Order: sequence, then C-alpha cells, then structure tokens
Amino acid sequence: MTPEQALLETEVAIEMITVVIDGFEVTVPKGTLVIRAAEKLGIQIPRFCDHPLLKPAGACRQCLVDIEINGRAFPKPQASCTIPVENNMIVKTQLTSTVAEKAQEGIMEFLLINHPLDCAVCDKGGECPLQNQAMSTGRPESRFEGVKRTFEKPISISSQVLLDRERCVLCARCTRFSEEIAGDPFITLNERGALQQVGIYEKDPFESYYSGNTVQICPVGALTGTSYRFRARPFDLVSIDSACEHCASGCAMRTDIRRGKTLRRLAGDDPSVNEEWNCDKGRWAFKYLTNRERVTTPMIRGADGELHETSWPEAIAFAAAGLKDKRAGVLVGGRTTVEDAYGYSKFARVALGTNDIDFRARPHSDEETSFLSRVALNLKTTYKDIDVADQVVLLGFEPEEESPIVFLRIYKQVSKRALPVLSDAPFASRGSEKLGAVLISDLSKIANLTTKSVVIVGERLAETRGAFSSVYELINKSGAKLAWIPRRSGEPGALAAGAIPTLLPGGRPVTDPAARVDVAAAWSVESLPTSQGRSTSEILLALNVKNLDAVVIGGVDPLDISSTALTQLLNSFVVSLEISHSAITAVADVVLPVAAVIEKSGSYLDWQGSPRVFEKAIADSLSRSDVRILSMLADEMGSPINLPTVSATAREIASLGKWDGTPVAFEKSVSEKITELGEKLNLKSWRLLLDLGTLQGGEANLAGTARKASAHISKARAEKIGVKSGELISISSELGSLELPVEICEMADDLIWVPRNSIGSQVIANLGFVNGQVKVIKA
Amino acid sequence: MTKLTPVLSAHWDEKDSFTIEGYKRVGGYKAVTKALTMEPDAVIQMIKDSGLRGRGGAGFPTGSKWGFIPQGDNKEHYLVVNADESEPGTCKDMPLLMANPHVLIEGIIIGSYAIRANHAFIYLRGEVVHVFRRVQQAIEDAYKAGLLGKNIGGKGYDLELTLHAGAGAYICGEETALLDSLEGFRGQPRLRPPFPAIAGLYAKPTVVNNVESIASVPAIINNGIEWFQEMGTEKSKGFTLYSLSGHVNNPGQFEAPLGITLREILELAGGIREGHQLKFWTPGGSSTPLFTDQHLDIPLDYEGVSAAGSMLGTKALQIFDETTCVVRAVLRWSEFYKHESCGKCTPCREGTWWLVQMLHDLEAGKGTEADLAKLLDLCDNIAGRSFCALADGAVAPIISSLKYFRDEYLEHQRNGGCPFDRVASTIFKTVGV
Amino acid sequence: MTELTPRPDDLGLTAAAKANVPIENQNAKSFFAQLQGFWVTFTTMFKKVTTVEYPEVKEPMAEGFHGRHQLNRYDDGLEKCIGCELCAWACPADAILVEGESNTEDARYSPGERYGKVYQINYLRCIFCGLCVEACPTRALTMTNEYELADDSRSKLIFEKEDLLAPLRSGALKPPHPMAEGKTHIDYYRGDITDIKND
Repeated sequence: MTPEQALLETEVAIEMITVVIDGFEVTVPKGTLVIRAAEKLGIQIPRFCDHPLLKPAGACRQCLVDIEINGRAFPKPQASCTIPVENNMIVKTQLTSTVAEKAQEGIMEFLLINHPLDCAVCDKGGECPLQNQAMSTGRPESRFEGVKRTFEKPISISSQVLLDRERCVLCARCTRFSEEIAGDPFITLNERGALQQVGIYEKDPFESYYSGNTVQICPVGALTGTSYRFRARPFDLVSIDSACEHCASGCAMRTDIRRGKTLRRLAGDDPSVNEEWNCDKGRWAFKYLTNRERVTTPMIRGADGELHETSWPEAIAFAAAGLKDKRAGVLVGGRTTVEDAYGYSKFARVALGTNDIDFRARPHSDEETSFLSRVALNLKTTYKDIDVADQVVLLGFEPEEESPIVFLRIYKQVSKRALPVLSDAPFASRGSEKLGAVLISDLSKIANLTTKSVVIVGERLAETRGAFSSVYELINKSGAKLAWIPRRSGEPGALAAGAIPTLLPGGRPVTDPAARVDVAAAWSVESLPTSQGRSTSEILLALNVKNLDAVVIGGVDPLDISSTALTQLLNSFVVSLEISHSAITAVADVVLPVAAVIEKSGSYLDWQGSPRVFEKAIADSLSRSDVRILSMLADEMGSPINLPTVSATAREIASLGKWDGTPVAFEKSVSEKITELGEKLNLKSWRLLLDLGTLQGGEANLAGTARKASAHISKARAEKIGVKSGELISISSELGSLELPVEICEMADDLIWVPRNSIGSQVIANLGFVNGQVKVIKA
Repeated sequence: MTKLTPVLSAHWDEKDSFTIEGYKRVGGYKAVTKALTMEPDAVIQMIKDSGLRGRGGAGFPTGSKWGFIPQGDNKEHYLVVNADESEPGTCKDMPLLMANPHVLIEGIIIGSYAIRANHAFIYLRGEVVHVFRRVQQAIEDAYKAGLLGKNIGGKGYDLELTLHAGAGAYICGEETALLDSLEGFRGQPRLRPPFPAIAGLYAKPTVVNNVESIASVPAIINNGIEWFQEMGTEKSKGFTLYSLSGHVNNPGQFEAPLGITLREILELAGGIREGHQLKFWTPGGSSTPLFTDQHLDIPLDYEGVSAAGSMLGTKALQIFDETTCVVRAVLRWSEFYKHESCGKCTPCREGTWWLVQMLHDLEAGKGTEADLAKLLDLCDNIAGRSFCALADGAVAPIISSLKYFRDEYLEHQRNGGCPFDRVASTIFKTVGV
Repeated sequence: MTELTPRPDDLGLTAAAKANVPIENQNAKSFFAQLQGFWVTFTTMFKKVTTVEYPEVKEPMAEGFHGRHQLNRYDDGLEKCIGCELCAWACPADAILVEGESNTEDARYSPGERYGKVYQINYLRCIFCGLCVEACPTRALTMTNEYELADDSRSKLIFEKEDLLAPLRSGALKPPHPMAEGKTHIDYYRGDITDIKND
C-alpha cells in the first residue's frame, strides 16, 4: 500500500495552524499558502501567477509580503503564493508593511512597462485583473520613458484562441493549466528575458479540448477567444448562472447575455463537479440557436403537403385531433430537462395511455433497458469516489470524448498518485494515453476490484450484448462502485422522470400495481397503462408497420438512432416539438416551437444524480418549455396533465419522490457468439467531443480544433490491405461506404475504429450501423 | 612569490598535465584509492571538518551540503558538477578543466562515493567546445583506466559519469535551473523547497557543486585536514584560484590562500599597467558590488569581502584603471544581465529591460540627477524581489558604482556624453607618448 | 385632505361673463401716468433687438456648446472610433450603444485592430453632458454645435453610425480602405500621416 492509499484509508486529523496576518489571527489547515490564509481574512494580496488549482509558481512576484517566523524576519519580502503557513508566523501585507507595499508597487510598475496599455481595444478591459490591480496597487503614473517591447498582434494559436504577446505578463497560468490540469502541454513559454512568450509547437497545434480555460484564467488580455473578440464589454452583459446542456458531466456555467443573445459562456465554480473548468464544447458551442432557422410559430401540414404557419390554438387542436384515441408513442430525445422529460412521461401515460416512451435517441438494447431500470437509477457513485478510487475501469466509455470533466477528474488522480485505469477501448485514444489506461479486450481481464474501485459504464456498452450483465455480476461480486455516464445531459434526468418504457417517474416499475397506484393517485387518474412499453427502436418499427399511428417527438436527430429511423416515421402522424427546423420537422404534421435552454428554466441531473438547476437566461422570451406545451396539448385532448409551468412540474416531481418498493429484476443477457469474420473487420466507433453534433453547429472556430477523422487499424492489417499511414482506405457495408485516411496503431487485427459522427465519417448515415462487419480495402 | 600556494594549478605548466598519465605522475588518483577504503560518512566528515566552502560564489560548506543527502532512503542520488561558468570576469573553471580535467574526475568519484551516488553529471558550458572535448577525452580515459564504470578500483563501487553541454544560458549556472536544463527542460530556476538535496535531478536527492570545490577534494583527502587548514583564514580555510583580469600587467590565475589582499595579488601580477592607477575592481565577478582603490587591503575571504559590502563570489578580480568609464562598464554588464534574464519573474525580466535603457541614456549624457534617484529606486525594487539571485547580481554593479562614482554619472550629464576616451582603456602598450 | 381645485385657466373671465357685469378698472391711473407706462415700450422700438427670427435666421452657438455628436475621421477617411465602448461606459444616461468588430485586411474601417461596427446614440436619453467626449481615447467622439434635434418619431431620434459620422473631406476615401502606405495605427494616433492630401 502506498502512503497515498494509506492516507485515503484512514481519516487523518488535519493539523491546524494559527498565523497572524496584519494583526489578525487566522487558523488554517497545515500546508495552506499565506496568500490563501489572507483571503480567509478578506485580505486581498494582489497576484497574477497564483491560481488556487494550479501548483505555485512564484513567477510574477506581485504578492510579496513581509514575513516573520518565531521573531525572525525574512530579510526580503516573500512571495505569499509560495510560502505555506507555519506556527508563530507573522505576516504583514501591503496593508501594514511599507516594504511590502513598495515591493508590490514596484512589481506592478515593472509589469506595466512592457504592457501596451491598449485597454481600449482589449477584450479584457473592464474585467481585467491587471487593470484592477494596477488601480489598487500601482503608481498613479509610470516613470518609464523608454521603448516598449513589441510583437505582432494578435496571433492565433488555435482557431479559437488568439494570443497577444504584448499584453502577456508571463504568469504561465495557461501553460501550467495545459500541462497540469488538461494534460495537453501544447503551449509553452519560449525565448527568454522580456522576449519570453507563449508559443505553440510547429507540429502539434493547440488543439486541446480544454483550451478555453486558458482564456478564462488569463489575468490579462493576452489570450482571448476568437468568437468573443470585440463582442462586448462586461457592463453590457447580463450574467446568469446556468448548467451546461451538452453532456452529463454537469458543469456549472455562467452565461453572458447581451440584448437577448448569448455572447459567451464561462465555466462556473463548483468544487464538487467541474472545479473551475469546463470543456471547449461547453464554452463555445452555443451558436446552434442562431445557426439553423428557428421555429418561431406553430405550423401544421396542409392538404398541399406543405407546412403552414398557424396560431397556437389551431395547431394544438390539430395535434390533439391527430393524437386523441390513437395508438401513439413518444420519443423524448436525450437533451430535455428533468421537468420536460417528466412532462413527456406524464403525457404518454395520461394523455396517450401508453408506456411507449423512450429517451434514447441512440443505439440501445433491451439489456440496457433492464440495466437502466434496475441498476442505473439507484447508483450513488460521485466525483468524490473517483478522487479516492484505487482503480477506475472504463467500459464503453471514452471520458475525454464523452464526458470531459469526468476525464479531468480521473486525470487529476492519475497525475497526482498514478491511479490505475483500465479501459475496454479497442485502441489507446489520446485520452487513454494521458490516463495511462491499460486496455483490456474483455471484462474477464478486470481484476482486483475492491469497494474503492470505480467502474464507469457508458451508453455504448448497450452495443455489446451481454456486457451489462457481466458488469452487473462483476459489481455484485466485488462491491465496486458503479457509475453510468451517458453522453447526453438529459438522459439521467429522463430516466428518473420515467421517460422509459419500463418505469414511471421516480423509478416506479410500470409492471408493479402498487407503483401504478402510487402514481395514479398523485396524478388523479383512475389507472395507468399496465404493460411494459416499447423502446425507441420498437416504437419506430411499430410506426413503420402501422402498429402505432402517431408519435410525439422532442429534440431527436433520426440519424442518431439508425439510418432508417426517418423513413419509418413517414406513414404516421408526427407531432414535433422543436427549437429549429430539422429532419423531423421536415416530415412532421404539426410543429410546435419550444424554448431553447437559455429561454427556459429547469434542471438537469448530472451523472451523479445531482440536480443542476438553472434559471431563464433571457427573461423576456416568449418561447415556452416543452412541458408547458404538452400540458396545453393534454388539456385539448381532454386528459389534462396539469403541468402549467416548470416550477409546478418541479414541485410535483418533488412531492412524488422516489420509489421505495421492490425494483424490477435485472434480466441478464448472454453475450453473443462471435461470428466468423472472414475477410471482414468488426467496426468500432465512438463520437469525438467535437464533431458534427447538432448542438455544435454554427461555431467554425470551435470546429477548427476538432480532431481530424481517421480510421484506426492494426499494423498487420494495414500491411495486409497494403496501406501506409495517412493513405485512404474504403470501408463499406451492404448499405454504403466511406473513405478515410488510415492511422496505424496497436489494436486487434480484426478491428477497425472510426469516429462516429465526424467530417467524412458519419457512420450511421454512411454505413447504416455502428456495430457490425465491414469490408476494408485500399481506396 | 611566497604568497602563492599552487595545488590545483601546481602542474599546469607541464606539457601533459591534462592527460591521465600526466596526472598520475604527479600523484593523481591516489586520493580515490584512499577514499574508497574509508566509510562514505567518514569522507563527508573529513570534508566537513576541513572547512572547505563552495567555490562557486555562495561559499556554502561543501561537507554540510553532502551531509544533507538523506541516507538509506533507497533512492538514487546524484552528484552534479556545475561547470556552467559564464559570469563576466569569471575564468577559473575553464582553465582548470583545460589544464587538469582529471582532478575534477577524481573529486567527482570521491564526492559521489561519499553521498552514495552512482551517477554523476558534469554540466559544462556549451560554448567552450575545446574544454568539452578535453573533459570528454579525460572521462573516456578514466573509464578505460577503470576509474569510472563498474567496480572502481576493485572496491565494488560503481559510478557513471555523464558530461552534458549546456546551450549557453547564464541562468543555467543557478543550480535548480541547471537541473531543469539537465533534465531536458528550459533552464529556469525551480521553486524551493524542495531543495535539490531532497528532490533535485529527476526528483532525487542531488548535490550540485562547483568545479573548483570538487577539484579541491582530492588534495584534502591526500594531505589531510591540518594541511588544508594551515591555509586561509579562520572561517575561510584553504587555497583558491583568484582570476585576475583587466588592466594589470600580468593577468591570469593566482592560486593563493583565502584571505590574501588585492594589493598582494597585484604585486604578484606585476601591478596595474604602466602609468595608470587602479580605479575600481570586482572581487568576484560582475554580480558582486564593485570595490575601489580604498579596498586594496581587504582580505579576500568570504567574511572580509562581505564585511566591506561585497561578496567573494567566484574570486574573479576584474581590474579597471582610471581610463575606464564606470558608467559604460556598468551598462555593458547590465546588457549582459538583460540578455541572460530567463524571463520567469517580473522584476528581473522587466527590470533589466528598463535598467539598460536608463543606463544608455545616462551614458549618452541624457540623464538628470533625478534619474539617478530613479535608477537607485528601480534597483531597490529589483533586488531581493526576484525569484533567484540573478537579478540581485544585475543591480549590484549599479548600486555600488553609484555609491563610489556618483559624480562620474553626473559628469556624463554635464558633458552631454561620455567624458572618457573610449580607446584609452583598450590600449595596452602606448608607444611614444 | 382638502380637495384640489383645478386652476381656472380662464383667469376668471367666465365667471365675469356669467355675472354679466362690465369689467371695471379699479383705481385707474391718470392718462399721463398711463402714457408714462408706454414710454419704455416706445424707446425700445429704437433699440437694436437681441432676439432673432428663428428659424429663418440662425445665430452661431458659443464655442464649446454641447450639441449633436460627431464621429470623426482621420484625414484619409478612416474612422477614429475603435469601438471601445468607453463612451457608453461613461454615459450617465445609458444613451450610447456600441458594438466593436475586427478590422480585416480586406475591410478596414479604422487604423488598428478594432472599429465600431454599431454606434448608436439615443437622443431621447442623451443629456449632452459631454462625459462621452471626455472618455473617448482617440478623439473620435466630439460634439458639434448642432442643436436642432427635434423630430416626429422616437425611432428617428436614435442616431446610427451613418448619421453621426463626420462628412468626408475632399480627397478622403470612404472606408473600408487600407491604411496609408507604410503607416501603422500608431502613426495615425500620433497624427503622423503627412502624405495624405488635405484640402
């Protein structure tokens, strides 16, 4: 057992130390830096390079203070960001020591001699630590009469980050972040003296998924976001605490709005989730709202086959008529808020009288349904468990691509104490390499699971038959902690809200009479449908063969489900609740416009099951949340669901609570026999963080840092096909084909990996499936 | 010539002083044999007792430094020799390595043995290619002679020695920057603690010593503590190399006991060049505060020099006579520091940038008396505020020159430019005048 | 509380008419005294008048009068405004809205990196205090002497950038166009653009 592990095992009493700062006593844990102890007293020591989540650097020297220990004074002022508190320490900051005050003033003067002072055209102007601290700490006038150092400005170090080297104070926060936190040391300081500057490598561009954080922590305007360049001043902006709608990591966010338009998003501060970081997708992918044409008015399809704008009452009446007393299903989509998902769930059961509802707009399986209903809903694993894990096992889950903040949390422990990581990925992705993940070909290779181990399963595990069953067994045997981390932000909430064929809200099994009574009483209805409903693929199949007549669809891209999903809809009555024109609205009979995230309030559940509540960012928006519209529709159909507002919905969810009865049993599946491949290869894929996803539309700067699509095959396979790295290969199935450049890596010879939805590699559209056998030849 | 105590330089005049045969002929590598029969701790104790202090500038007791290495920690230990001699005026290590690289290798073997290191490094300044080649050859010869590698001298002690060429950065003479550079990173000083003795090279306990300190070890082992302590002063024991340069008739290395005065050394060196008088000098390279002719009788040991307001440093005695413009000399040094500032911390990076511009103006006669006050204030804002000692060294000549030659600065202003004949300081033999 | 009675706008004439009594001048002065009263009027007829026949006749305003704003240009026509929004920040009445944008090599409106893409002053809010002019770091914003700012709709009183921009001098080019050959934004800022023809 390493000392770190021993430390984790036993709760060590933290030694507290009392120091005197500016005459005030403060007691802090041993190891606390002086600058942080001063903060506790409300004494702000100016600083640039210091950042609480980065290792101390002591580079800017702005935080100099006078320190005395046991009556012995340091001969020179010390950088308070590098010195931990000690017993009998007396600290005098700029408030009580003229030496510290002069030292700080001197440093500030130095920092400004080579600073261009172009605040007027600088994006940081108005919210700039250098500006603020120059006012609080600097001299009123500079004594510098010489020549400033100049650089060409600005240069772009990636398509989304601009660097102005003249403004840089060389605090190295950005380079330290990239190396310590993100594990992407793609930027570094080069040259020396006053000509020192942040630079990128010639061959490795600054294509980190976390590059936006460097912009946020830059204490001057040296790093700025291309998308926000010259957009606004802080006093223009209304800042709203929000939650990220992109993935289930659950980042706290800040959204800055100017006149009804999102201008930028920043990582919020939540130590238990995202600390102070977020990924570039969360930060910059918000233009999807303005990218495609918004649906602003309800529309119904006329006799001419075209959509016509109409009034709300007319559209609601039309939709109600098409749904009333019909056999209908509901496809919720993975990006709804808990309240909206609850609305869909209640609407299906009460207004449509069916359990045919599913939030999974992606490949799924019955085994997964069973796993979600029995296991996933009751998991209690959190980020904290990762922090103290003795081992992390990743199954069907690529954290850097599918839940970037989970990745940062694992990486933190990997770099801190070499946390062992296992992954079932077919090859070592960049993320796996950073985590030093050991690749395993099947689950039987997982050993030494303890109650401190964390097993994380992703949504892609549904694509391997029998995998969930093996995991279930593994967890039962070892007592290891299990986490289900789907890719989309809405899925954990939708599961809890019962937007799944097997469960009512709160995890109540639809097949359990007591559970049904429970819910029926709360909803004031006589009865609820009794049999288990259809899943997404079953709903689509039923629509296709006319076993269902109608469908209500939330935010769903049919190509996320299958290549045939859209055509399966064509013969049914389709009610679409959408924010923008899409493939579904193009075939829908009724299109009802709904509010986008910034226009509504609500909450998501992150993968830990904690609610991420957010308020309306655009206060005067007229758009309505899905649940409000469903409520209107249900009223019109004569079976009201009584959910007039988001807050009423939230109250109802809270009062309903969680199911404490017997959960459904987990139905195991047996893994498939491996079929003979012959000359074909097994296709593996996952989505990259930055790809062709709908919510990333309209942001070219973000797309510019996406990883280029390439097909990964083994060396032996490449030799067999006769291709070298970088050459094109053609991958084909019965349904289509795609061409990609080859990247040779260590992996099994019978596998090929391609990105699922990147430029040039849209697997479902191009090949018709995500999981199957493909023919691979040199193109 | 009685004042000189040639130990390191005793055989420099021999044709083959740099070869292994030449070194062995004059008793080389005997100390290794002796040391390897001693307990490592006994070696450390002996060096501690001898009172040998670091010859690289700071004067930290070498034996104590070795003693800081935690023993029995099951970690690798490293000895790193700092041969990145790049201070203006300092020129003792390169001649030493040129003339006798083996004395260093012998010292390294003893030192490594004492601190239980099995791998030692010499970090050599990259520009001195000729020295690099000579040391490289010496190491090769030592390996061939079984003095390096496995089972040295049949005593069961293994030592690898790696010679590494720096890339020409002054900052890499700072021990932690040196370690960063040696590891393959940019040379920038590290945050301390942890000190190198706890986490140095590759985060392992490491001793970083100057060439001359290590090279002095074999003599101590051979001749004993008493012999060593006979030389020097009370707190500064032993012999050392004084490097005399500048306006003297006979510049060069003068190996003498610590505590000798400049007056004595000047006598040995044949005095200031004909017809001129001493104006100012540096006791230990450009980053030690200047001295003038009033300091001729200060004992040149650690205590004596520091009591007079400077530092012994590397004992690089740069001598300037009255033809030298002190403002210009200080400007040139400042330009050096500006060029060599690593850029990590603000006061050094920005301060040197500013100082050079101010000194340029002052030298060109464009400064005012108020500028001198400003200059001093800037120096005050730099000294003691920076990450490492480079910036302290950068302001030392400015502050000291202002202390002794304030009027000369003002003279530049009154004169509208430098009042000195720039050529005069560069002519060594004046013919017919 | 006493009930408020509205002020009789007819100065009591209605009441007088209703009473049907002739209006009498009480305590009338003598005719001479009354003539004396006209004397002032009479002499004024021979004095120079200080009022003017506005709007037919207009007098120039005092120097420094706070009138309508103007967005100035450099001599070659490039705009001085850099879109920094300091004017909007300084404005106590929140009358100014600015949005910046990057200059590109193909479309340059001002020297340097940034120009004001949107510039609006709402004259329904503006109090003509001039703080915006003080805040302007490039002297792009100044005030003219123009005071005729009445109009018949609210929207017409929100002046756009085109309404505020100074007219082009002869020889100046309408932006976008590149900076003068070999000049940087600093030369512009310092006024060192000598090769530009001035009228």
